[in-house]
Amino acid sequence: MSRTTTRPRAARHGAPRLLGAAAVGLAAVLALTACGSGGQAPAGPAKVSKEAKDTPYEGTVLSKHFDKPDLVLNDTDGRPYDLRKQTAGRSTLLFFGYTSCPDVCPTTMGDIGVAMQKLSPEQQQKIDVVFVSTDPQRDTPQVLRTWLDSMGKNFTGLTGDLDKVKAAAKTLGILVEDPVVNKDGSVTSTHGAQVLAFLPDDKAHLLYLSATSVQTYQHDLPLLAQGVQA
Amino acid sequence: MSSRSFRTTAITGAVVATVLGAGTILVAWGPDQGGAGGAARLSIADPYIPLPAGGAMAAGYLTVRNAGGEDELVKVSSPGASSVTMHRSTETSMESAGPLAVPAGGALELARGGTHLMIMGWSKQPALGDVLELDLTFARSGTIAVRVPVKPLTYRPGQQDSGN
Repeated sequence: MSRTTTRPRAARHGAPRLLGAAAVGLAAVLALTACGSGGQAPAGPAKVSKEAKDTPYEGTVLSKHFDKPDLVLNDTDGRPYDLRKQTAGRSTLLFFGYTSCPDVCPTTMGDIGVAMQKLSPEQQQKIDVVFVSTDPQRDTPQVLRTWLDSMGKNFTGLTGDLDKVKAAAKTLGILVEDPVVNKDGSVTSTHGAQVLAFLPDDKAHLLYLSATSVQTYQHDLPLLAQGVQA
Repeated sequence: MSSRSFRTTAITGAVVATVLGAGTILVAWGPDQGGAGGAARLSIADPYIPLPAGGAMAAGYLTVRNAGGEDELVKVSSPGASSVTMHRSTETSMESAGPLAVPAGGALELARGGTHLMIMGWSKQPALGDVLELDLTFARSGTIAVRVPVKPLTYRPGQQDSGN
């Protein structure tokens, strides 16, 4: 089986960087919530400080801060949507995928949807979730809207010229290829399955791989809503 | 192996109800206790289909546990869908997979983001609470029928399906 292994949660174990007696109690609580299987946490102090990063996020912090791609496509109302303009100054989650993808795409967008619902309405309004179709021929605005509504009514769906999509993805280091229609009628689209998070400075700061748990999104979205630095 | 014939089982009725209720049940076993060369002893745990978000393209997930000797999941079919195929998600795409090994004393896990079933051509558009029969054919244990419930899109085994 080649199930993607869950990446190590360095950030969580990095939490106990606090000093002093008061920190001990807090660290113990954090350790319990982190792994679920109490008693196993091997984290000696040396290891903890080595893994510690200066970030409150659990997502992978990017060392290269990509710009938001210059991308204008149609939204699910069929109106032109300028990604840079319409998400300017806002925390934004960006994902490339397609609606006839049975596994990774609905799982990822569903997890983000669950995490978004845990936020207050005010927090939700501070994050844009943008899904860009890698199969625009089949993902019409209407198809996209129906699909996204199952995960988040406020999610933005973009579809249009696949060449534009590929070019935009490329600037982010995300691979998108032409979809292939299989003999059985199913469609396979090759697309990088990572989610990129942009902060209000309009730069990508965080990366979420396809094996990211819903708990990680639940942890990070409130920070993104506040625009906390990564 | 003489024990093979009675392991070809299509389960219906009361046993199916038990599968759904308990989440797992021993559905096939051999006379010996296994080891790599012995008979497989398979049970199916946590089968579910997340409600498809649009269209009728769905994924199916389940775990095949094996308390006996090794086996292989060769194919999957369904009386309620024209196509059930085994796929594996990679970092950037999907590839067809199978046959899938069910290791001796181990488990084959079909789970989100990994190896999964792709179900198409439903005879009826799936709805929450529906149950789809999947017929899992193993190289050594024959065919096991599992009734798989349609769960909310974001469902994961072990959580209450409150929809949310």
